[in-house]
Amino acid sequence: MSAEPHVLVIDDEPQILRALRTILTEKHFRVSMAQRGEQGLALAAADPPDVIVLDLGLPDLDGIQVCARLREWTHVPIIVLSVRESESDKVAALDHGADDYLTKPFGIEELLARIRVALRHSAMAQGTRATVINAGPMSIDLTRHVVTRDGVEVKLTATEYKLLAYLAANAGRVLTHQSILTHVWGPADADHVEYLRVYVGQLRKKVEADSRHPEILLSEPGIGYRFVAGE
Amino acid sequence: MNVALLDPRGRVTLRAFLAALAVITAGSLVLQLLRDVLPAPVMALLYLLLVVLSAALGGLSAGLLAAVLAFLALNYFFTEPYYQLYVHDTNNVFVLLVFLAVAGIIGALVGQAREARARAEAREREVTFLYELATALAGLRQPDTMRHVVAAHLQELLQAELVEVSGLGGAARAPEAAAAPARRADALAPLVTAQGLIGEIRVWRGGLAPPPDEERLLRAFAGEAASAFERARLAGAERHAAVLEESDRLKTALLNSVSHELRTPLATIKAAATSLSSGAVGWNTAARGDLLAAIEEEVDLLNRLVGNLLNMSRIEAGVLQPQRQWNVLGEIVEGTLHRMRRGLEYHPVTVDVPEDLPLVPVDAVLLEQVFANLIGNSTKYAPPGTTIRVTARARDAQTLLVEVSNAGPPVAPEHLEHIFEKFYRVTAAERITGTGLGLSICKGIVEAHGGQIWAENTPGGLAFRFTLPLQSGDHSPLHVPPEDESA
Repeated sequence: MSAEPHVLVIDDEPQILRALRTILTEKHFRVSMAQRGEQGLALAAADPPDVIVLDLGLPDLDGIQVCARLREWTHVPIIVLSVRESESDKVAALDHGADDYLTKPFGIEELLARIRVALRHSAMAQGTRATVINAGPMSIDLTRHVVTRDGVEVKLTATEYKLLAYLAANAGRVLTHQSILTHVWGPADADHVEYLRVYVGQLRKKVEADSRHPEILLSEPGIGYRFVAGE
Repeated sequence: MNVALLDPRGRVTLRAFLAALAVITAGSLVLQLLRDVLPAPVMALLYLLLVVLSAALGGLSAGLLAAVLAFLALNYFFTEPYYQLYVHDTNNVFVLLVFLAVAGIIGALVGQAREARARAEAREREVTFLYELATALAGLRQPDTMRHVVAAHLQELLQAELVEVSGLGGAARAPEAAAAPARRADALAPLVTAQGLIGEIRVWRGGLAPPPDEERLLRAFAGEAASAFERARLAGAERHAAVLEESDRLKTALLNSVSHELRTPLATIKAAATSLSSGAVGWNTAARGDLLAAIEEEVDLLNRLVGNLLNMSRIEAGVLQPQRQWNVLGEIVEGTLHRMRRGLEYHPVTVDVPEDLPLVPVDAVLLEQVFANLIGNSTKYAPPGTTIRVTARARDAQTLLVEVSNAGPPVAPEHLEHIFEKFYRVTAAERITGTGLGLSICKGIVEAHGGQIWAENTPGGLAFRFTLPLQSGDHSPLHVPPEDESA
C-alpha cells in the first residue's frame, strides 16, 4: 500500500462526489471518481484502488452487477452506499461480493471508520492471514480453536465456535444471514434465521461485556451480522 | 315451399303441412271403415272436426290446407258417385261448397287463434329472457363479465352456433372455446348509447339469416346490453372521480403538512450553516458545537420524515410487504434507541423486554420504524426529563403485547381512537412538529404484520400498545437443540 491509500468512489450524485472528494483528500486519501458503472469498472482496472465506495443506484449498470463484475478479477474491498428502504438490494450486493454497506445519509466519521476497517481487512488478506483475532477482551485463535477472554478459556459448543470463527475470520465485513447459515449449518438450513438468533444470543452472553448492548457481534437489521475486531 | 318453412321456431312450417295431411289422410281411412254405419251428414261434421284438429295443431296454413283436403276427401269418398271428384247432384255440389266455406272459416279462425297464442307465448318468452338478462347484468361493473353474460344468454336463447359481443375494449364469445367462423356473421346488432356506437353483437347461425322475430329479439338484447354497458361506464367514471377527489384531498393535506415539516429543519440547518461559515461563531466555542449538533439532529429528523413518507406511500398503494424473519425483539428496540440517541437527550428510556421472550416473525426494519415513531411521538408530548418505557410480554402462545408508554398529558377519549388516522392531531399543528403521519404509519406497519395497535390513558400518562403474532403462518420457530460445550 502506498503512503496515500487510493479510494475509488462510484456515485452518480455530483454533490456526494464533491463532498467525498473534499473530505477524503483532506484525510490524505488519493481519490478517483466515476459517475457511471462502466466508467468505474474501467477506472478500477486502469488504476487499481485500495478500496471502492459504490453507490447501488447508478444510471447505467446495477450496483449489484458492478460488484459481481469486480469480483471476477479483484478482491479489493467494496463498501456499498444505499438508502434505508432497500434491504434486499444491500443483501444482494453483499452476496455478490460487497464487503460492507453504509446507509445514506451517513456521517463522514462512519464512512472513514469503514474505509479504515476495509483497508486493514485487505492488508490482512494480502499478507499472511491473521490466525489470532482480538476484539476487546476476547481473543480467538483460529488455528488452535481456542477462544479466551482476558486470557481465560471460554467454553463454546461446536456450533458456537464454528459461528464465532466464521464471523471473526471475516471481521469488519457484513455477512448476510444466508451466507452465515450456509457456512455454519449448510445450504439446507440457509433460511433458518432462528438458528442464528439463538446461537448469536448464546455467543453474546459468553463474549460480550453486556449482551444487551453488544460491541463485538453487531446485528445489521434485515441483513446480517458484523464482527467488530479490536485495534 | 321455401326454406323459411324450415324455421325451427316459426309458425309456417313443413311440419304444419304434414300434420294437416296426416290428420286428414288418417281420418279418411277411419271414416272409410265406418261408411256403412254413419250417414253422409255425420261424415261432413266429422271432417269439420278433423279440420279443427289440424288447425289447432298446425296453425292457420294447416287449417286452410286441411279444409281443402277435407273438401276433396268428402267429395271423393263420401259423395256420389264415389271415388271420383265429379258430383252428380246439384244439391250435393251446394252442400260441398258450403262445407268448404265452413271448413275454411273454422280452420282459419282456429289456426289464427293458435298462432296468436304461440306469438303471445313467444313474446312472453322474450320478455322473460330480457328480464333474466337484465337481472344478470344488474350489479355487474366489469365490462369483461358483462360481455360474457350477454353472449352466453343470447347464445342459449337463440341456440346459435356462435355469439360474439364486442365493445368497451374487448370481446366475448359463447361458447367460449369456439373460434370465429371465417364467414361473415349471419346477424348483426349494434350497441348504441348516448356516446354513439360502442360495440356490436354478431351471431352465426349456420349461414341462415334470422327470421324477423329473432331479429327483433336480437335488437332488444342489444338495447339492454348497451344500456348496461353505459351504466357500468358511468359508475366507473363516478368512482374514478371520487378516488381522484380523495387522493387530491390527501395530497393537499400532505403537502401542507410536509412543506411545514420540511421548512422547519431546513431553516435550522440554513441558519446554523450560515452562522458557522460567516465566522461570527468562534472555533472551539460551545456555540459552535451546539450549531453542529443542531444540524445533525435536523438532518436525522428529515431523514426519518422521508422514510415515513415513503412507507406512507407504500401503505397507501397497498404494496407494503413486510420481509418477515425470526427476530429478537429486544435487539430491535436497542437498535432503534441507538439510532435515535441524539433525539433522546431529554427523555431517558427504560427497556423491559425479557430475554427469554420468543422470537417474533417481523420485518426488523419496519418494526424499528414503529418504535422510532412511537418513541419520537412520546418525546414530543411528554415533558422533558420524564421517562419513556418500552415493555413486551407474551400475552399467550400466539400473541406478543408491546407497550411504549410516556408521561405525556392524557388524550380525551373521543380522540383516542382517531390518533392513528392520517393527519389527525389533538393539538394545534403549529405547536407540535410532525407530519401527522407517524402514528398512522405505525398502524399500517403493525396491521401489515397481522397485529393491532391502540392507545390508552394510564394513571401516569399515555400508553401505545400493539400486538404481534408469534407465529408466521402456522409456523413457530424451529426448535434449536442444545449442545454440549466440548470445543
